[in-house]
Amino acid sequence: MTFLSKYIKKYWKSFCIAVFFLTIEAVSDLMQPTIMAKIIDEGVANKDIHYVLKMGGLMLLITACGAIAASTRSVVASIVSQSFGTELRSDLFKKIQTLSFKNIDKFDRASLVTRLTNDVTQVQVFVNGLMRIFVKAPLLALGGLIMAMRLNLQLSVVLAVVVPIVALLIIFNLRLGFPRFSRVQKALDRVNSVMREYLSGVRVVKAFNRFDAEVGKFSIVNNDYKNQSISANRLMATFSPLIMLTVNLGIVVVLWIGGYGVNSGSIQVGHIIAFINYMTQILFSLMMISMVFNMFVRARSSAGRIDEVFLQEDSFSSDDNQNVNFIERGRIDFEKVSFTYEQATGEPILKNINLTILPGETVGIIGSTGSGKSTLVGLIPRFYETVSGTIKVDGIDSKRVSPKTLREKIAMVPQKNILFTGTIEENIRWGKEDASDAEVVSAATIAGAHDFIMASPEGYQTRIGQGGVNFSGGQKQRISIARALVKKPEILILDDSTSAVDVATEARIKEDLKTYAKGLTCLLIAQRITSIIDADKIVVLDRGELVGVGTHQELLKDCSIYQEIYQSQVGKEVEQ
Amino acid sequence: MSKGNVQTESTPPTPPPMRPGGFGGAHRRGPGPVVKPKNFKGTLKRLWQYFGKERKMLSFIFIFIVLDSSLMLLAPFLIGKAIDAMRMDGGKVDFGFLEIMIVILVAAYVMDSLLTFLQGWLMAGVSQRIVKGLRDALFKKLQKLPVSFFDSRSHGELMSRLSNDVDNVSNTISQSTTQLMSGVVILSGSLIMMLWLSPLLTLASLITVPLVFILTKTIAKRTSALFKNQQVELGKLNGHIEETISGIEIVKAFNHEEKVIEEFDVVNTRLREVGLKAQIWSGFLMPIMNVINNLGFAVVAVVGGILAVKSIITVGAIASFITYSRQFVRPLNDLANIFNILQSGVAGAERVFEIIDEEEEPLDSPQAISLERPSGHVVFENVSFGYRPDVPILKNVSFEADIGSSTALVGPTGAGKTTIVNLLTRFYDVTGGRILLDGHDIREYTRDSLRRCFGFVLQDTYLFSGTIKENIKYGNAEASDDEVDRAARMANADTFIKRLPNQYETVLSENGGNISQGQRQLLAIARVILAKPSLLILDEATSSIDTRTELHIQGALLTLMENRTSFIIAHRLNTIRDADTIMVIDQGEIIESGNHETLMSLQGKYYSMFFNQFKNVETGLD
Repeated sequence: MTFLSKYIKKYWKSFCIAVFFLTIEAVSDLMQPTIMAKIIDEGVANKDIHYVLKMGGLMLLITACGAIAASTRSVVASIVSQSFGTELRSDLFKKIQTLSFKNIDKFDRASLVTRLTNDVTQVQVFVNGLMRIFVKAPLLALGGLIMAMRLNLQLSVVLAVVVPIVALLIIFNLRLGFPRFSRVQKALDRVNSVMREYLSGVRVVKAFNRFDAEVGKFSIVNNDYKNQSISANRLMATFSPLIMLTVNLGIVVVLWIGGYGVNSGSIQVGHIIAFINYMTQILFSLMMISMVFNMFVRARSSAGRIDEVFLQEDSFSSDDNQNVNFIERGRIDFEKVSFTYEQATGEPILKNINLTILPGETVGIIGSTGSGKSTLVGLIPRFYETVSGTIKVDGIDSKRVSPKTLREKIAMVPQKNILFTGTIEENIRWGKEDASDAEVVSAATIAGAHDFIMASPEGYQTRIGQGGVNFSGGQKQRISIARALVKKPEILILDDSTSAVDVATEARIKEDLKTYAKGLTCLLIAQRITSIIDADKIVVLDRGELVGVGTHQELLKDCSIYQEIYQSQVGKEVEQ
Repeated sequence: MSKGNVQTESTPPTPPPMRPGGFGGAHRRGPGPVVKPKNFKGTLKRLWQYFGKERKMLSFIFIFIVLDSSLMLLAPFLIGKAIDAMRMDGGKVDFGFLEIMIVILVAAYVMDSLLTFLQGWLMAGVSQRIVKGLRDALFKKLQKLPVSFFDSRSHGELMSRLSNDVDNVSNTISQSTTQLMSGVVILSGSLIMMLWLSPLLTLASLITVPLVFILTKTIAKRTSALFKNQQVELGKLNGHIEETISGIEIVKAFNHEEKVIEEFDVVNTRLREVGLKAQIWSGFLMPIMNVINNLGFAVVAVVGGILAVKSIITVGAIASFITYSRQFVRPLNDLANIFNILQSGVAGAERVFEIIDEEEEPLDSPQAISLERPSGHVVFENVSFGYRPDVPILKNVSFEADIGSSTALVGPTGAGKTTIVNLLTRFYDVTGGRILLDGHDIREYTRDSLRRCFGFVLQDTYLFSGTIKENIKYGNAEASDDEVDRAARMANADTFIKRLPNQYETVLSENGGNISQGQRQLLAIARVILAKPSLLILDEATSSIDTRTELHIQGALLTLMENRTSFIIAHRLNTIRDADTIMVIDQGEIIESGNHETLMSLQGKYYSMFFNQFKNVETGLD
């Protein structure tokens, strides 16, 4: 957990202050039974009401001190844990934002979100707990022991027997408990996964009449979950009374020894009462420690998950500071480019791609799913690094250019519609923050979005919910396109991003694009040949290999895969 | 003392409130408002009835709890008596009495532990059995619910009812009820014992009680508003995180990392401020309770001391009293908390019962006949249907599909294509007219036997976690390996299966995430081939697959359609042009019907749709 050292360095002083006040608090708790023993042994025994009142006053004073200490500690602990949590969350967020996709892809997106929310909170709660009770429990246990021993060494023999037994019982309990509880968790995951599957496949289950099989499957995992839970809970049910019994029998022994002590005059009655009080205090503290351990294990696994993210080293080897002079605007060269995703096994995604895209060209990219189209364009803004070969953007090896500089030249409209909470205008402005209103409108107009935006009552100020729920797929696509256009990029990449836009609009968008930015290089990924039929150049990919480059007519003549795609889409009709 | 708190939620949305085992008094309440049940009493009663044969066992456990709590009340009294056996005035210790007390005390402690153990042991079984029963009942119920139920609810909501709410019920049974019972017994028992020992001292020590109430009330008032604020800010932050992490491609593509981080920091800082206030205020609760405890301790010591000096009470009574007054305050703190847990548990039960009360798919009529290997002659007679009475989807639709023929349904989204399929398989029942299969109204057949006659290839191929072989055998569990292999070959799936490291034994992850969309579709087709249905439904079976892969699947589909009455829904017209009958559906009505050639010569809607597609319109059709 190396990432923690930063926060330790920053907060250890405040942490120590909190622990200092915690100690005062614990000491004031511990003083009470001793003072009470004095009230009984000296005040009551000598019938000295004055002494009783004096000691009572002392008790109240100590209580007040404890209260002040506790409140101070509470405030300090809150400040430390909240600040720590906030900072950790912020640092983790920054780390994730600056990671390359190669690293990000190692994690599930949902799991990254959980790490940022749940796991950080878990660690924060633990740190807070540290300054509240986790440290107090051992302090109380230890202090109780010391106070009890100071009170009466003879009676402490009982503690010497009881405490190790209880400690052993707790250790056994934890040892046996953890694997059981983790089995419970796994069993529960299985139950949930059967349920989730059923919910998403309910039509299939109904269609195939597999009710009995589903119920049977569920019954097995549910039964397993029940058995695991019972076994885990029964373990707890066994150890708790055992621990209680040990301590209670200890109390009986104290009474017994105490009886002889009082008889011989070596022990005072008040001491016995105080001693019993300390014993219960120690017992509760020990039980607390086992709870703390529980929390610790949970926080540790959370911290481990956070650490995994922090451990990701950015693999980019860009010479950021270098000033590069781009020779051209909007030219892309692929030279013997090959690529494989880090964890992927099997064939590479891209194999030895050679391709030149000239400034101002419109290039269509086509091929079956999994042929590497999206990967190919993802390499241009350095979302991923090539495994071998070079990509030159505007004549410069892209590895020599920082991703930031590179991405300023490129605008992308991805397959998935990603819009953010906020107004339409804010979303379009993502492309260029200082864009004028006129620029926003003109981008929206070219993207075919202006009309429907104006049709909604609030126009450009219409709010888009999380993920953009209130617009249709085609409308969201057009807003995404407007966002890319407002940037006035040199290179525009449309990754199958007009699939939900109707054809007339699609054609008009493409027409307007040519006049919008002079010399704009445009890469179009498409499923359908008709979307790219009039491109300057069409690139055909198949299983990661470039199998054809040319115009529609050329490819129709020479490229068998292109012919196949064409036939599958348009059918025999056209040949006639 | 805590009886072991099993955290069963797989991803708790908020950190679980820590329950430090009844030590030192106050518990932190879980942030967020308590969800209150609509009908607390009624649901509780129903839950009790639901426990069925476990009720007897539960009653036993409750008796154990009462006995156990009573013994816990006895112990301090015995200790006090034992101490009184030791004379304060330097006289001899009454060993005879001490011995008797000690023997009783040991017996009480052993009994107490035994009872606690028994109660915990039994409770573990009872509560888990009840919850298992509840889960099984829910899952069985889900089998009986109509498709419309699933269509109208989000999976997330259903999942949360099936797991979180059920867990809530379990926690309520096993923890809150026991704590509540023992709390009440100890609270009232302690009070009685205290009064019996010394009414005067009781009065003195009870001055802390109103203090507890006033302070917790004041703090709770402040914190609940603060926690609500915190929840709101947390929601905002989570929304921001969710959005920027799932859209990180765009963030990076537009060089927006810094802007996003800035926004994050703004929300994050706001959360810190609100969270800090909430935590500081709620943090005061515990020390204050601790102070009150110590205050009570001091009061008992001083007042008890004075009373003892005046020989009104004995020293042993003071010792007993200290324990009682602690035991009295502790459940007092707990009870409010327990009541909240109980409430949210009952609210959970309420939501569970809501599902149990859902209207089921109506039973087959007793006269219903089992449909075996129908020849596949389908007739729609003036069929009308609407998912909601006021919005008709199909209006007076009539058509006939001959044995072994293929019928294609085309038309814009919302025209009613999928509805026809839903009616045919009785996922929904017609609201007017009737559908005949082999000359009988399909409502005369049992649903099971009717559906078994249909094979489905849907746009979304639901595969289940398990091996490829298990998935192919889903519709025909008795099929031999040979048959599985043959079906896979017919579906063109064997080539990719054989390339997988474990071939047919390859385990698919949930919903088949580890193979491609096209491959999943091939498996779904193999599954249907193996099920040997008499009729076939292809609902946008190839729409999420690229056209080249589609070409390969097409062959498999043709084999499948041979000699089977088939219904095909597609929006790419070239995939259906060979169908025997093509029906163009618009706004719930069949507007054109015939084969490709006749419809083309008609030069109507189909003609224009086809040529639109031909003129690059491929998306405008759906």
